[in-house]
Amino acid sequence: MSADVKTNLKRLLACLGLGVVLALMIGDQEGNQTDFGFAFKAAVFHPRILIFLGIGVLLYLAMTFRPRVAPYLTRAGVRPLAAGTASVVASYGLLNWSDSGNLTNGKLSTLAHGARDTSGISVIGRLFFGSAVPGLYWILFVLAIALAAAAIIVQKSALAWGAAGLSVLAGVWGFVAHEMVRSYLHSPDHSTGAFVALLGYATIASASVTVARTSGSEAATGAFLDRIFGWKPGFPLFVIGTAAALLGTFWASWFSPTDKNTSVFGMSDLFHGYPINGLTSAYLGWLVWVLLVASVVVAGAATWLQHKLLGWASVLVGAVALLISLLSMHNFSRIAADQKFDGAVQAWQNIGTGAWTLCAAFTVLAGAGWMVARKPVDAAADPVSPRPIGSDSLVSPGKSFAFTQAMLVVVLAGALFYPPTATGFWQTVLVTEIGTYVLLAVGLNVVVGWAGLLDLGFIAFYAIGSYTTAYLTDTLPVKPPHWLHLSPLMAIPFAIAICLVAGVALGFPTLRLRGDYLAIVTLGFGEIIRIVAINAKSITNGAQGAFGIPQPVVHLGPLHLKWGQDPLQYWYLLLVFIIVVVMLFRRLENSRLGRAWAAVREDEVAAQATGVNTVRVKLLAFAIGASTSGLAGVFFASQIGYINPDNFVLNNSILVVAYVVFGGMGSLSGAIAGAAVLTWLPEFLKAQVPAEDRQMWIGAVILLMMIFRPAGLLPAKRRAAELSGLDKVYSAETAAVPAGEGM
Amino acid sequence: MTDFLNFLIAGLTRGSIYALIALGYTLVYGVLQLINFAHSEVFMSGAFGSLIIVQSVIGRGVHHLPWYGVTGVLLLGLTSGALIGAIVAWGLERVAYRPLRKRGAPKLAFLISAIGMSFFLSQLAGKLFNRFSDNNFPTYYNVNKHLFDIRGVHISLIQTIMIVSAVVMMLFLDTLVTHTKLGKSIRGVAEDAQTAALMGINIDKTISRTFIIGGALGGAAGFLFGSAFTVYNTMGFIPGVKAFAAAVLGGIGNIRGAMLGGLLLGVVESLVPTAPWVGGHTWIGTQWTDVVAFVVLVLVLMFRPTGILGERLGRAA
Repeated sequence: MSADVKTNLKRLLACLGLGVVLALMIGDQEGNQTDFGFAFKAAVFHPRILIFLGIGVLLYLAMTFRPRVAPYLTRAGVRPLAAGTASVVASYGLLNWSDSGNLTNGKLSTLAHGARDTSGISVIGRLFFGSAVPGLYWILFVLAIALAAAAIIVQKSALAWGAAGLSVLAGVWGFVAHEMVRSYLHSPDHSTGAFVALLGYATIASASVTVARTSGSEAATGAFLDRIFGWKPGFPLFVIGTAAALLGTFWASWFSPTDKNTSVFGMSDLFHGYPINGLTSAYLGWLVWVLLVASVVVAGAATWLQHKLLGWASVLVGAVALLISLLSMHNFSRIAADQKFDGAVQAWQNIGTGAWTLCAAFTVLAGAGWMVARKPVDAAADPVSPRPIGSDSLVSPGKSFAFTQAMLVVVLAGALFYPPTATGFWQTVLVTEIGTYVLLAVGLNVVVGWAGLLDLGFIAFYAIGSYTTAYLTDTLPVKPPHWLHLSPLMAIPFAIAICLVAGVALGFPTLRLRGDYLAIVTLGFGEIIRIVAINAKSITNGAQGAFGIPQPVVHLGPLHLKWGQDPLQYWYLLLVFIIVVVMLFRRLENSRLGRAWAAVREDEVAAQATGVNTVRVKLLAFAIGASTSGLAGVFFASQIGYINPDNFVLNNSILVVAYVVFGGMGSLSGAIAGAAVLTWLPEFLKAQVPAEDRQMWIGAVILLMMIFRPAGLLPAKRRAAELSGLDKVYSAETAAVPAGEGM
Repeated sequence: MTDFLNFLIAGLTRGSIYALIALGYTLVYGVLQLINFAHSEVFMSGAFGSLIIVQSVIGRGVHHLPWYGVTGVLLLGLTSGALIGAIVAWGLERVAYRPLRKRGAPKLAFLISAIGMSFFLSQLAGKLFNRFSDNNFPTYYNVNKHLFDIRGVHISLIQTIMIVSAVVMMLFLDTLVTHTKLGKSIRGVAEDAQTAALMGINIDKTISRTFIIGGALGGAAGFLFGSAFTVYNTMGFIPGVKAFAAAVLGGIGNIRGAMLGGLLLGVVESLVPTAPWVGGHTWIGTQWTDVVAFVVLVLVLMFRPTGILGERLGRAA
């Protein structure tokens, strides 16, 4: 047998094996079947297995013919086409299109089934849902991507324009149809499916336009993005902000108690006769339009003319508009609560998506102005020019500075104003899972990503922070002295101090150990802390843990804040924590200490030889990471109100390490993204797979990520340079060293 | 004294399982300088594989087998566990390690891919063969039958089986590594992979075979553990962590170190918390077992930072 045949045979067998594994993953549960191995037999000895074997064969064919396809894959527009296809498929197949229980709850297929025969929806909407041709939306989608793919292959611009037109049509039609369902159901809607489909079709359309405008030559998407975002810094943000503002005012609902659902045009009438204050009535009547026009115009002028003073003006106008909007929203929602609209009891309830979208739009417009105002002197001349070290910690390789800044503004606006429009479930998830673990991952990133110390007991410091809070708030069997009875937020400095001490106490004897020894010792430390918490009943109340940890309160002069049950309040507190910590760490990364960490990580002996006090530097990393974890612990304890040792199991420590590496070791944005994605995923999978299978899918996702992108989601520049060489990664730091030398 | 000896024997039993698993960690560490975090799942799959094969051969429930029947089933269980363990470990290397090696991934990426694999395998096993801890081997001999009973010191049948088979396997491995060509290539790769390649050793194959040997030992340990206790999908987690600690205790990458570390950790865990020499009342209590194990580990590492016998497979074996 020749070597070629042998390789092919091996590959075919591997692909078929993958098919079988896939069949097992999607197959039945064993559950409490008495017939042992039932699930295995059901998955393997069933005709369905042929489908999965077919998938294996397809994979084999794809791998075998990859060299022939490869030249097409580098053509312009392929990557956005793939991204768009993925988002439309996700939207059609996985996401919710409606979350009001009335018509049909859930995904597009169920919604379409119910909606296509509902006479209350206009015929345009019903046609989309398949009243004439079942599954019309899938047909449109397949046609659009087939046209786009054909355009890429044969390089005919007519085909590309056709694909662009078709995808715009499909996207807008779907969105309109969803709007019809929404207005028919007449209730607030939190589903994301229609939005994601629209975005996906927009991406496909832009891919098609790219195809139409380029002829055969290769064009990297990254460079294209750089060109767009570097052309006039802030201008893309201006476009996004304007679009969001228009969407927020002309389309979305502003106030959504049952049967008082209204857009901004109806607000003035709705509150006519109620005791709203002058500012709010002016706002609802005409001020909102003035603010909208003013901020759009100023931001547009600033970004178009690239005038610094106008940029600052745009920041000012955006901030004032945001402030007035928030004041008015507070006022009218409080009035509504006084009138008991739809059972509202306090301000901020029942505010619709439109108002929050407008707030986000003001933020983005102000951010556009800020980008112009803070523009580096030479950025307009050369968008990818090097910039001073110290400003690039949130940059992923290959994207220009302007792109990163724009992303930062959009993410911030989203983090501020998306949560109020989410469902209660997602708000809780956002606080207890995503936010908390983002904070932990940012802390662990210092230890693992920057100093290169493998810490598998990170959750221990989280436990210490939580138990410190419980002690200081007088909820443990062991009581603090009278004068030391504190509210949770006042416990933060104590928790941080204790975690610093614990980090140093753990680090001092163990830091002379090398990587893998350190891993097992920290793992042991984590387990010791947990077992002590279980067994030392007189101190920690054993396995029951502490109950009734009070909620945070702030009394600062005239300011009195009290956190209650609403997860949103905690989200903003957490956001403050995360932003403060991230800003501190960004400064730290390129400081003397940060560079010392990098040196120790890359080569400890060399670092020592050049005068780095390695023990001190490593201890500092440990202590700083530990104190961040302690901060998260304080937050967790006071938010959830009860803690017990089960919250601090070894698995969580391992997961946090996985988040950091998944996101991209040593990059702050990577740690945040990794933690956010991997904590969001299990909640998302709830609607897709049986609940007990979620960890299996997450394991598979982590595995695939490491196989195909070992540097992580958003790799740090320094790491990326290690993996792919300096010539592919462009930054001030790498530009200082000619390719092939150093690092 | 009788208590002391009884606890010592219990500790040796526990330790021989740790040692068998620890050998898998240490072998892989020797050739790759990586902790194979999914090794606990190899252990688990060995247990499930041998359970399925033994059940399909002799059926479920209680059987009264003659002594040669018992020996035959034991051998069948050990070989099937070893076989399944070897297959899973081989697959693990191909899927979670080799692609990353080809890409020159950072060291932590291997750790995370192994963790992903570990989640995946244990949950897939839970999906396929239920998530309750009620999968027992068929009873074909009296597990708790006292084989020896000398003035209150007793050794049960299962303890004998575990210790004897572990010792046999360890002797076999030691001979394999010190006296065969395969052992020489493993030691060569462990010592210096690039030089070994220059000497005509196929590194990929050697690494694959190292995984297979470690996986076979782990799978056989899975059968022994499963027939003494029970088989479930997360059974590998705690013994895996302990065996990892044992490998580090003996000096990771060192084969005899892993054996010594495993036995020592088992004995310490069994003796220190109960302290049978104090007499009568318990001393610390078994709920502190894990704390004792890790404190001993930290103490040893503080005075000997590379473990009791020092690291490196190549040098020590």
